[in-house]
Amino acid sequence: MAKYFGGCDVGSTYGKCVILDESGKIVGNATVRSKINPVETANMALAEAISMVPGLESAKDLTYLVGTGYGRNKVPFADENISEISCHAMGVHVTDPSVTGIIDIGGQDVKGIAVDSDGTVKNFAMNDKCAAGTGKFFEAMARAFELSLDEFCRLSLTAKNVIPITAQCAVFAESEVISLVGEGKPREEIAAGLQVSIAKRCFVMAKKAGTDGNITLTGGCAKNEGLKKAIEQVLRIKVVELKTDPQLMGALGAAEYARQMGM
Amino acid sequence: MKDLKHIHFYEQLLDEANNDLVRKEKAEGKIAVGYTCYYVPEVLLNVGDAFSVRLRAPRTGSLDISQYYMTAFICGYSRALFERAFEGGYNFLDYWCSSETCQQMNRVVENVDHLKLVANAKFGHGIIDAPLKVSEHGLKHYMTQIKTEILEPLHEKYGVDISDESIRRAVKEHNEMCKIFEEISELRKEKNPRITPREMHILSLVSYACPTAQILPYLKETLEDLRSREADPENKWRARLIVVGSELDDYSFSEIMESCRAYVVADRYCFGTIPGRQCIPLKDDEPALEQVCKYYLDTNACPRFMSQEKVHARHEELLRYAEEYHADGIVYEQAKFCDFWGYEKLIGTAYLKEKTNLPMTSVDREYVISGSGQLMTRIQAFVESIGIKKIQKNRGANNG
Repeated sequence: MAKYFGGCDVGSTYGKCVILDESGKIVGNATVRSKINPVETANMALAEAISMVPGLESAKDLTYLVGTGYGRNKVPFADENISEISCHAMGVHVTDPSVTGIIDIGGQDVKGIAVDSDGTVKNFAMNDKCAAGTGKFFEAMARAFELSLDEFCRLSLTAKNVIPITAQCAVFAESEVISLVGEGKPREEIAAGLQVSIAKRCFVMAKKAGTDGNITLTGGCAKNEGLKKAIEQVLRIKVVELKTDPQLMGALGAAEYARQMGM
Repeated sequence: MKDLKHIHFYEQLLDEANNDLVRKEKAEGKIAVGYTCYYVPEVLLNVGDAFSVRLRAPRTGSLDISQYYMTAFICGYSRALFERAFEGGYNFLDYWCSSETCQQMNRVVENVDHLKLVANAKFGHGIIDAPLKVSEHGLKHYMTQIKTEILEPLHEKYGVDISDESIRRAVKEHNEMCKIFEEISELRKEKNPRITPREMHILSLVSYACPTAQILPYLKETLEDLRSREADPENKWRARLIVVGSELDDYSFSEIMESCRAYVVADRYCFGTIPGRQCIPLKDDEPALEQVCKYYLDTNACPRFMSQEKVHARHEELLRYAEEYHADGIVYEQAKFCDFWGYEKLIGTAYLKEKTNLPMTSVDREYVISGSGQLMTRIQAFVESIGIKKIQKNRGANNG
């Protein structure tokens, strides 16, 4: 009988689930908006991922499952939990072993992760001061611009200049943005300023962790094209594109650990 | 494992600075002397009718009032002590001994005094000017400071016996307690230890926060219980770690370590066991006070000492512990805004990276630790990086 392995990443903004077969191929995945109760988020993500795999009906049909993310202790069906730092490193490693550095921008924190040649963590750094540089920050800024998150993320791509933003605090930055909009400054240039200010925060995390060589972005904010462009400028690198959705890297790493433990 | 004898009683004692044993000692007419730092020799606060209480601020909530008086850029420990004093939590104190170790703590004592926050008519305080170097001159100065700022005021205000004989009695009792800790520390060297990091942290904390004479009988019984205790058959620990850093009196930190399956084999933080819970040797033919002061200067591992020999000794000591306690890694923990440890962790990690392959990490933390998900993620990731490498190495060895 075929064996399947699961990874469930309960993040502050999204819950993700990945199911692997014995060869390590992704056979099911899901991304759902997080509920206030992490147990509910985990259940929803798992149910959706399982529905993609014929023959699987519940968590009991999985040989092994690893929980990760801020709600990793609350994944009710997990055999074990592993920190998202280790899981992102492993997820990226199995996706592209040439990558040795990760900037993970999640809903509530930013992390720099240096990856060892075996997919384990060599070193890491994470912000813990505030929401600056996180998904929550971008959501607040999109609100200030009265745009959807996707629209806001693309806004800076058309900017000819960058208007520097001095505040990194989500609350103060929002006030600064409103003042600049009120002064009639081009919105795309303000947005570019915001992306650069966050890219600088990412630069610090990446350097603190000692990342070098090929660097990629993971987490929900990896899909923010404006931020990606700003990071490439600030870090003077070409960000490695992953062939799998970068938001799934934590869940994929968790599933890979589950596969290694359950085989 | 079954519950360690008296552990729940110890937990209760740690819920208040003015705990049951402090109140008992006070009811017997003893003099409560608060202190915060290794520069103030604990044993000298236990002479005659005096007893020491290393100050904590358990169950700290908002720090708004202390922030008003002392700004936000002060370490959480200092602010929490001020806040607790403001709330009347140290009214049991008769005397508060502090040291010029850091200006932040000095501001606490000065504010407490200026605002008359301790509702005790006889309350007094002394601040010693501690030397920055260990030398003959430094020792002389240190002794003078301890005499004039601590011992003489205790004698003059409260009639405390500060004679040589009284100091020797205090050292004897102190050593009795230290022997208990020396034996327990040995248990941490076991492959599958019979005492958990949380339990060890609690034992260490009660030994500082309670009168020695009162806590000693309980600790003796706990040791007896430990001697016959058996560890759980399954060794759940993924990594054996040494923890060094700033003042740490919240055992939630050790709970986080445990939840990440990290075993703390040795701890070097204020309120920890190294230094502080090792016997003080005394010769009969030399003055006890001088010997005690010299011992405290020699063993002081505070990063305030910046002379090369002290800095070097601190790093070498870590390497020695790592070998002695079979450690897999080192964690530097720094209370936010703790100036000395900010510097120490930087040069410490740089130095040790050159000298050893031991994995190292450093974490910033608040005074109140419980509920810190980010701290748990950091520690867990560090432990995993060690644990997973161990598993892969073993697999490689088995396959090869």
